[in-house]
Amino acid sequence: MGRPTRVAAASLALLMSWVAEAGVPEILLVIRDHLFFPSTLEIPAGVKVRIVIDNQDSTPEEFESYPLNREKVISGNSRTVVFIGPLPPGEYPFFGEFYPKTAQGKVVVR
Amino acid sequence: MFLDSVLLILQEILEAALLLSVLLAVNLQLGAQVSEARQLGGLWYAAAICCGILGAAAFAWAMPTITGWFNDVGQEVTNAGMHFVIIACLYVHCRLLRKKADSERMRSLGAGLTLITVIALAITREGSEIFLYLRGISGGPSGVTSAVLGAGVACGIGVSTGILLYFGLLSLSRRAALRVGLALLSLFAGNMAAQAVQLLIQADWIPYSAPLWDTSGVLQEYTITGQLLYALVGYEATPSLIQVSSYLGAMLLIASTPLFRQHWWSGKISA
Amino acid sequence: MSSIRRFLIFGALAVLTLFSFIAALRGYQSSMEEAETLFDAQLLDLSRLVANLETTPATRDLRLGNNLAFQVWEHDRLGSASHQAPTTPITSRVQGFEFANFGGFRWRTYTRHDEGHDRWIMVAERSDLRFLLAENIVLETVLPILLGIPVTGLLIWWVVSKGLRPLEQLSEDLQHKPAHDLTPLAASTAPRELKPVVRAINGLIGRLGAALEREKRLSADAAHELRTPIAALKVQLHNLSREIDVHSDSFQQLEEGVDRMGHLMEQLTALYRTSPEQFSEHRVQLDLYALAQETVAYWYPLFQAKGQTLELVGAPAQIRGDPFALDTLLANLISNASKYTPAHGHVQVSVKTLPGGVVELLVQDDGPGIDAAEHSRIFERFYRADHAIEGVPGCGLGLTIVQHVAELHQATVTVGSSSFKTGAAFRVVFPAEGRA
Repeated sequence: MGRPTRVAAASLALLMSWVAEAGVPEILLVIRDHLFFPSTLEIPAGVKVRIVIDNQDSTPEEFESYPLNREKVISGNSRTVVFIGPLPPGEYPFFGEFYPKTAQGKVVVR
Repeated sequence: MFLDSVLLILQEILEAALLLSVLLAVNLQLGAQVSEARQLGGLWYAAAICCGILGAAAFAWAMPTITGWFNDVGQEVTNAGMHFVIIACLYVHCRLLRKKADSERMRSLGAGLTLITVIALAITREGSEIFLYLRGISGGPSGVTSAVLGAGVACGIGVSTGILLYFGLLSLSRRAALRVGLALLSLFAGNMAAQAVQLLIQADWIPYSAPLWDTSGVLQEYTITGQLLYALVGYEATPSLIQVSSYLGAMLLIASTPLFRQHWWSGKISA
Repeated sequence: MSSIRRFLIFGALAVLTLFSFIAALRGYQSSMEEAETLFDAQLLDLSRLVANLETTPATRDLRLGNNLAFQVWEHDRLGSASHQAPTTPITSRVQGFEFANFGGFRWRTYTRHDEGHDRWIMVAERSDLRFLLAENIVLETVLPILLGIPVTGLLIWWVVSKGLRPLEQLSEDLQHKPAHDLTPLAASTAPRELKPVVRAINGLIGRLGAALEREKRLSADAAHELRTPIAALKVQLHNLSREIDVHSDSFQQLEEGVDRMGHLMEQLTALYRTSPEQFSEHRVQLDLYALAQETVAYWYPLFQAKGQTLELVGAPAQIRGDPFALDTLLANLISNASKYTPAHGHVQVSVKTLPGGVVELLVQDDGPGIDAAEHSRIFERFYRADHAIEGVPGCGLGLTIVQHVAELHQATVTVGSSSFKTGAAFRVVFPAEGRA
């Protein structure tokens, strides 16, 4: 484990604890080979959620969802945050705008 | 990749092309109306476009850094800030273009500078996504040719729409052209405000609220018509209350300028 | 709309681009949907095929193409499977089409429930590959539309340029029409849309020509008609000189005034006779030197009276010209020189043939000369040089007449400094014979 990775992990842990304090649940969404992992995110209804998007590809990607009204560029090999909700139950598809044929996923609110 | 590339790039180009052609036509029609000094030269526009393209490249290049600002929502906040600056400059520009003012020269300079800012920022905002997209696909596994082809088609459609709108506005009578042009500018300001608010909601700076209505069954945003309406009037299938109210607020701000009143309200009364 | 050409080219190109590109996009979209349906049908067939497979050791790791995968689930046990399939179910146990991610790719999946054996058959096809395959085919059909745009652009440019040619021709014709050329424009070659314009312009030219004609005739007639009364005045003045004191100021001024009026009338008559629109030329072969000799001889007494010298140098030079008009030209240049040269001054007339056959007539004096600033103005009608000596009779038409005559002979008149210490030189250069 290299030093930068350790620092990143440590700061992420710090961030997560801060978020946990604020009471916002957090979900990790990974982009790898222009695919979303997991491709289905399940979140509870009526709760604001913080999605941490980790782009492990070297190319930038844009997280986009029309039903969620979200649009955000994630540079290559970096991570960022998108807030969604609170939402009523339903399915909210999202996709990577730069590779929409493969980078597809949905948020399922129960 | 082809259609996706067309839609993505069209979304960016249309907005800039329509704004540019409306501003060009309005200024030309106003210039024809009063003095030569009022007519803003082509040099202003060329400078604005160059600034915008350079700005877009720089913005795309600095995107990783910017994203990290304000607890990882720097991207949203910076974009929203740009939108608000665009609205402010558009407002000042319209104010400076009104009839009768004390200092012709100063006003002309001010109108030119605000014009440059509006166009340059709009192009920076839209163009940076194109730069990012092209960088995104060029390092990817597939379909670079079809994506570039799509970019060309999007350019063709966007620029053609802009040209037709420009010629359309010029072929109208001066009165009608100014009415339509100013109305489009106020819609553009509303569009900018709604987008900015949307970005701030995404950044969690403004609390989320449920959509007021859902018209995605009637018209999807992710279609050519949807993109055209999005670029022209900021069509959104599921807007929230705060988006709608900020849209109307920015529209009213532009509509409150003497220039707008002169060509819309007073014109209507005397007509 | 400051330019018709720009409007037509850009407008037509924009309309064409917009609609052909949108049509291409629609075509692409429906073809891709069609292709998707086709691929899905194939996937369905594959699932039927797999459903007929007996589970044997040979089917546990069946090698298929890289773009295909399948699994057969017998209850919770993986029966047959292709070599690419993971060991976990690739999709959920719901009959129908779905998408799934595995093995680092996105797959189109179809799930079928084999009720006879209570098995779940899951087949998958690489979604990116089948999309690329379809797109390559579809783009082949869309590409010509896109590549056609530049070619169409060139054609539109050509058509618009061709269409605007008559308009440009008309504007060029009008621009290059000499000021005194009042011939009507050719209306027969103009296209239908421009015919009214050409007719209107020709009407204007006609009315202008008639107006000019009237003005000229009026001036010329007036000048001509005034000759007789002036001659009568002169006779009466002569008679009067016997009866009263001829040395009185009033009488002298009266005499001077009548002389000046007579001169003006003669010059006016000459001016209109030599104006290009009026002139009916009788060109003959003549010797300019001989002609100059006659004129010099005629003017010699006047020079003698003022104590001035007038000399003629040069050699015989043949030109084609109108003797009467050339005599007027010479007379005007010589009398002009005399007027602006003080007593005891020198005036030299020279005629020579220059290399190349052009004939040069030079009239120079040793008077005060003419400022360079005035050079362009002295040929204007009724212009008189600032230093025009007080009391020198003149009406400011002489040099205009000179220029008229020169133009009639395709000659050029220039003014410069003389080869004397001071003074002006008027140089008239006649074109080489045969070229005029």
